[in-house]
Amino acid sequence: MVDTSIIAGGWLAAGLTIFIFSFLYRDNPFFKIAEHLYLGAGMGWLFQVSVNSVWIPKIWEPVSKGELLVIIPSVMGLTLLTQFIPKLSWMSRYGFTFMMGYGSGLAIPAGLSTDFMSQIAGTIKPFSLLASLSAMDIFNALLVAGGAICVLFYFFFSVEHKGHLKKVSNVGIYFLMVYFGAAFGNTVMARFSLLYGRFDDLFTFSGSNYFYATQVVLACMVLYFLLHGFFSGKKEDAAGEEAA
Amino acid sequence: MIKHKAALALFLSLSAPALLFAAKPAPEVKKAAATPAAINGLTAVDMPYDAGNAAILKWPVDPAVAADAFYVVYASSLQSGGWVEADRFAAPAKTGKDIELPFWAWDGSVLEHAVKVELNNLFGESGKDAVFQFRVAAEKNKQVLAESRAVSVTPAGNWFRLDRLNNLVLLIALIVIFFWAVSHAKRKGLFIRRIAGLDAIDEAIGRATEMGKPIFYVPGIGSMSSISTIASAFILGEVSKKVAQYDSQIKVPHFDPVVMTVCKEVVKQSYLEAGRPDSYREDVNQFISADQFSYAASVDGMISREKPAACFYMGHFMAESLLLAEVGATSGAIQIAGTDVEHQLPFFFTACDYTLIGEELYAAGAYLSKEPMLLSALKVQDFGKLFVMLSVFFGMILVALGARFRWDSFVPAILNLFQNY
Repeated sequence: MVDTSIIAGGWLAAGLTIFIFSFLYRDNPFFKIAEHLYLGAGMGWLFQVSVNSVWIPKIWEPVSKGELLVIIPSVMGLTLLTQFIPKLSWMSRYGFTFMMGYGSGLAIPAGLSTDFMSQIAGTIKPFSLLASLSAMDIFNALLVAGGAICVLFYFFFSVEHKGHLKKVSNVGIYFLMVYFGAAFGNTVMARFSLLYGRFDDLFTFSGSNYFYATQVVLACMVLYFLLHGFFSGKKEDAAGEEAA
Repeated sequence: MIKHKAALALFLSLSAPALLFAAKPAPEVKKAAATPAAINGLTAVDMPYDAGNAAILKWPVDPAVAADAFYVVYASSLQSGGWVEADRFAAPAKTGKDIELPFWAWDGSVLEHAVKVELNNLFGESGKDAVFQFRVAAEKNKQVLAESRAVSVTPAGNWFRLDRLNNLVLLIALIVIFFWAVSHAKRKGLFIRRIAGLDAIDEAIGRATEMGKPIFYVPGIGSMSSISTIASAFILGEVSKKVAQYDSQIKVPHFDPVVMTVCKEVVKQSYLEAGRPDSYREDVNQFISADQFSYAASVDGMISREKPAACFYMGHFMAESLLLAEVGATSGAIQIAGTDVEHQLPFFFTACDYTLIGEELYAAGAYLSKEPMLLSALKVQDFGKLFVMLSVFFGMILVALGARFRWDSFVPAILNLFQNY
């Protein structure tokens, strides 16, 4: 015998999944319920994460132990909230400026290393092993290098792309499209695996041990849409007759 | 007397072999044979240009050590004992040339072994003045052939990463070019080629104005430190300026409260610049949720109910990209998207009318506003791309020539120039 709370959880999961999927048909009150519930639950979850993973371990506990230095970044973070008080909103600039400066300092050297240096080194490195490369490997290395140059040229904004330059740019687009096609297929496969997961759950909740939760919720929703369609159609007809 | 001497001689001659045999210290002979030779010249130095959590051990290459033997490096964080195996490698391997530092920061030789030991991997985080002991043994078939004396070192962090000098030089070059571009842009202006997706912005806003429906501008789920979000904020400025001029409506649903605060200022400023500060409403920017899929579900609901005439998706997007763009497409809105998240771009291609690919998003702000600072930043990006293109082209040729004609020190030097340390 399955526990009552598990059965209730199954009904809730099946119901919310079908409510969200119902958006594929059209916007409806069930989707709105699920949407707002999701929004509220998401914010509630993030709030407790902020309290339990940031506020308590990063601020409360160090201050309780006498590590008062953490007050400085905490105050700087709190200045961001002064945006809501027009007279004090100037204070938020300090917090924002620090965040932007810190972010830039962290991102620029890392970007230079990965976007520039590693890109170049990775592209030319295969040619250092020329003696041990097969004809196919050499072709591969040339293809990668040529592709990198053409794709970069597509994003070169300082010259007009016409004549021979247009051809180089077009080759870059072909390389991009090949990549995008591969990325699309890859991501769609991943999304399908998520969809299978939801269907698997709906199948599980359709069993007699869950009192046919999936079928009942689905039947109720279909009934709602039929009745809604019937009555809204009648209303429209009445409105049309009145207008006539 | 003679009889006694003869008996003594007989006794000695009979017992001598036994005494000799008894006196022969068999284990001592064995011990003498198993005493390992010494590995001379072992030195331990602090790993240069690091955070102070690694050391380098060096000792001369010994041709007498068999090629099928192994060197085993032991390390300890204690004064005595506590040895742990830090590394094990075939005797001919790991010379000074194998240390991953560029030629301007490290002069490695093939005549000496050099081994980098990551101390934090072995002993965790250590104190500032922690002393570490090292010794090296040469082993073959689990028998110690040679062993060094213990040496010690105190690792220290370095303020300057000389190994990253190539990055610094490139950064300085980019800064110089940026300032040159700023002065040039202010004096003569800078050319940017036409970007098709951006020309459609006017069309989209005009359509929304004619239809009397709102425009949705979705800045994505990136934080304010994300480059695409910063680019999105610039584009939002230009879009909202045009919206203010046409007296249309714009709605900007937000995922990140910091981004919302910045965007509020941007939109307010745009309305001011357009001469319509009275048209600005505080609810243009709305905070929705900081949870990815609740945000997507809520924005989807808003789009499907309000049926906007135009949707802009500019910034950092992940799995919600298709969820948003698909709903926008079914609601009949003209859609313009732009992101630098390359694996989400295909979804925008399929569901949107125009898509800005990666760098085009960064260029959009400059293209629309013609601001000298933004144009200069774009020029610096173009310089970076030109640098990469030329480096790949000439680097490829030089490295191939070096490999073909066996210029042994030239090829590693070229690779060092572009290595990420």
